[in-house]
Amino acid sequence: MTPFLLLLPAILTMLFVVALPLIFSFYTSMTSYRLTRPETIEDFIWFRNYIRLFENPDFWRAFLRTIVFLAIALNAELLLGLGIALLINKITWGQRTLRTIMMFPMMFSPILVGFQFKFIFNDNIGILNNALQSLGLTTQAIPWLVDAKLAMFSIIFAEVWMSTSVFAILLLAGLFAMPRDPIEAAKVDGCNSWQVFRHITLPFLMPFVFIAMTIRSLDVARAYDIVAIMTGGGPAGRTELLWTMIARVGYDNARMGQANAMAYLSTILSIAFTYYFYTKLVAARRYMGGAE
Amino acid sequence: MSTIAERAAIRRRIQAVGLWLATFLLMVIMCLPGLWVVLAAFRPNREILAKPPIWVPQQLTLNNFAKIFGFGSDQVGIPVLAYFTNSMVIAMTSTVIALVIGVGGGYAFARFRFRFKNGLFLGLMLFRAVPGIALSLPIFMLWSRIGLIDAQLGLIIVYVSLNVPFTIWLIDGFFRQIPISLSEAAQVDGCTRWQAFWKIEFPLARSGIAAAGVFAFLTSWNEFALASQLTRTTDSKTLPVGLMDFTAQFTIDWAGMCAMAVIIIVPALILTFLVQKHLISGLTFGGVKG
Amino acid sequence: MASIMLKDVVKSYGKVRAVHGINLEIGHNEFVVLVGPSGCGKSTTLRMIAGLEDISGGEVLIGDRIVNDLPPRKRNISMVFQNYALYPHMSVRDNLGFGLKIAGQKPKVIAERVAEAADILGLSELLDRTPAELSGGQRQRVAMGRAIVRHPDAFLFDEPLSNLDAKLRGQMRAEIKKLHQTVRTTIVYVTHDQIEAMTLADRIVVMRGGHIEQVGTPMQVFNHPVNTFVAGFIGSPPMNQLPGHIEAGQVVLADQSRVPVPPRLAGKVREGQKVILGIRPDDISPQGHGLGMPEDAAQVATLDLRIALAEPLGMESLIYTTIAGQEVQAKLYGPRIVQPGEVLTFQVALARAHLFDAETTRSLEVL
Repeated sequence: MTPFLLLLPAILTMLFVVALPLIFSFYTSMTSYRLTRPETIEDFIWFRNYIRLFENPDFWRAFLRTIVFLAIALNAELLLGLGIALLINKITWGQRTLRTIMMFPMMFSPILVGFQFKFIFNDNIGILNNALQSLGLTTQAIPWLVDAKLAMFSIIFAEVWMSTSVFAILLLAGLFAMPRDPIEAAKVDGCNSWQVFRHITLPFLMPFVFIAMTIRSLDVARAYDIVAIMTGGGPAGRTELLWTMIARVGYDNARMGQANAMAYLSTILSIAFTYYFYTKLVAARRYMGGAE
Repeated sequence: MSTIAERAAIRRRIQAVGLWLATFLLMVIMCLPGLWVVLAAFRPNREILAKPPIWVPQQLTLNNFAKIFGFGSDQVGIPVLAYFTNSMVIAMTSTVIALVIGVGGGYAFARFRFRFKNGLFLGLMLFRAVPGIALSLPIFMLWSRIGLIDAQLGLIIVYVSLNVPFTIWLIDGFFRQIPISLSEAAQVDGCTRWQAFWKIEFPLARSGIAAAGVFAFLTSWNEFALASQLTRTTDSKTLPVGLMDFTAQFTIDWAGMCAMAVIIIVPALILTFLVQKHLISGLTFGGVKG
Repeated sequence: MASIMLKDVVKSYGKVRAVHGINLEIGHNEFVVLVGPSGCGKSTTLRMIAGLEDISGGEVLIGDRIVNDLPPRKRNISMVFQNYALYPHMSVRDNLGFGLKIAGQKPKVIAERVAEAADILGLSELLDRTPAELSGGQRQRVAMGRAIVRHPDAFLFDEPLSNLDAKLRGQMRAEIKKLHQTVRTTIVYVTHDQIEAMTLADRIVVMRGGHIEQVGTPMQVFNHPVNTFVAGFIGSPPMNQLPGHIEAGQVVLADQSRVPVPPRLAGKVREGQKVILGIRPDDISPQGHGLGMPEDAAQVATLDLRIALAEPLGMESLIYTTIAGQEVQAKLYGPRIVQPGEVLTFQVALARAHLFDAETTRSLEVL
């Protein structure tokens, strides 16, 4: 009984602040509720909001853009993080300082990261354009946040800047925890350094990759903050992600029913993502147990 | 004769230089954006806006801070002091509550075997995965019914639940690093389970719990998606939401915004620096050892 | 100080039984060692005595109290853990005094008792250090000190020496023995190391698979193992076990070679009975290189054996050879060097040989 008593506050909090709202949200997603007309919350329309969403090309564009955004950002973060971890692992002097510096972006408010890059990518006064112009690489200002493609790039850049650290730090912790014996055994067995990395180091790091992915999956939606301040979904909806669309439809257009339907889909997306990597992590732990 | 040894030495030197170059570049990319914002916070607006750009600051000033805090002659109409107080109160309170709940939960996961343990843990994590903006919709609707919109309490409740799962993950990891036999030894030595926890396990996990607290604090301190919808006025608006006040105006007050950014960054940096070591160990230990 | 009694004690985890109804009486001030391979239930039994595991069935008594439902703190016992379980955030002094402090003893009493324990264990110089600053042996001593300051009814030791290296283990073994002689308290000691069991125990309890196989003094268990398991587990190197059957008062081994039934067991065998002949390596030696071979020729069997391998250990050598197609270990006493392939005449001390029933694995001696 004791463990359940200890967990009771946690369970109650989650039920009250997350589960209950989610049920309410699900109900609302099947009404035509508009904030401006409170009585519409009783107008039950079954799955029409969802059907309307699926018929809406703007939704599909935002949805696909979100998937592509996540795929690019997460892969870039993983690869860069791995590279950085391997790099710092090689450095013998000042390693701890480097590690500390790397933790800082993790702790930045996403809104701050967005603002920071809004400042840097600003076409008129941003340090990036100023630098490019001073170096003579370009004569006119590059519209980083105005051009659709460049704006998407800028947002991904900000996202990667903020979150690569999670991977770098956890993978570095993995490298530190890595036992030397298997590596030495592999070298004696005739592996070259690539083979050692591929067959020994990388499999050992996989659980750490999954931890990082699980942790990251908990807050992928933080990208909302970055986009909200950098472009607000613009220009002309070209950087609109699922999350900014939810805010626009729900709060700006006051169409709560529709927004809740979208929110529900984004919730399922996030939960599936977390679930996938968490189960991977649990599976990876099993063979990690054999190494000890 | 250029021997193999000599060539190997040259190759090693090139590798070392490459390593340093890569590290240097990395640090520039990591640090420069933040440093540039911090620097701009101490420069007058006209220097920031200057064309052609002024690279080396000619004048450093605290005016930007004075302005946003409402001192001095020209004031900015943004009540940063109120936002700061709100942020502090909300982040502190929600952290303390989340820690109390998290220590109980983390201890339960670390020390007890019970039914549905793995399922419960996963369930907590999945709840945490709900996107803030998606969660904000129903909470907005519910809170407005019970009068928690634009109230500090409304945000505190939300942040507690946002922080509980991850706090449990971290604290579970810290407790599991403490051998169970310490608690058993204390019980044999005459302690009740509760005494064994307070006198032995809690002091040993203290730095880890502090790290979990810092993490929770920063999550609350930095949160935007929910806060932006659940707050309205100086009664409850937090710093991240306040930052958006600047962009709402027709001309952006870059210097003021940078000054405000510094106010948000500095506590985060200090706290991170204090607990970084424990944070990593808590994350990995809880994760890797099943 | 008190006796400890286990009556039909059972431990089950769900449907799995770890301990199957154990009965054991441990006398006042007795040093009892529970020994057995890992997973035999010895630690679980100890932890049930300590109160760290619930007792699924039966009764545990300390003194004349049934302690089944008492938490550890009310059992007045102390325990030394495998990894010492020293409190890392406390000095040695505070570690030693912790139990007394919790019990609400006066600071003066605590100081006295800590000083006394530190004196017994030679820790007086180390009192202000933290556990991290101690060597393995010192930590071990602090763990023991923490146990003795409280003057408990019984000490429980859970594999206390298994984290030490071989040399230190020997030293600490001697110290534990001395400690028992100085403080005279009931001790229950769990180990998987039969040498520790032999050297420390007043009585040994050999366990396997949640059952007690045999209880007895070290010499009883060594000289009169009740079954092949105990015979194989106690003694190093282990007893040689050769399958065979009884024919006309002789043991016929797998290759039809014959060994007389040891005279003391002559009346206890059945014609045609399948048996296992047990001989300790010390009781198989080349002629003239044995130790304590019986004078009486009827108590000795002689056979020629080819040496497969010899491990010289100084004044003695361990010899690997083959009897009836099965590898057998033998002992050679004295400085003689032997080569693989050499054929020597060996003597077998039949007086000390054992016979076990092949089906029940029980010793014929006890039937």
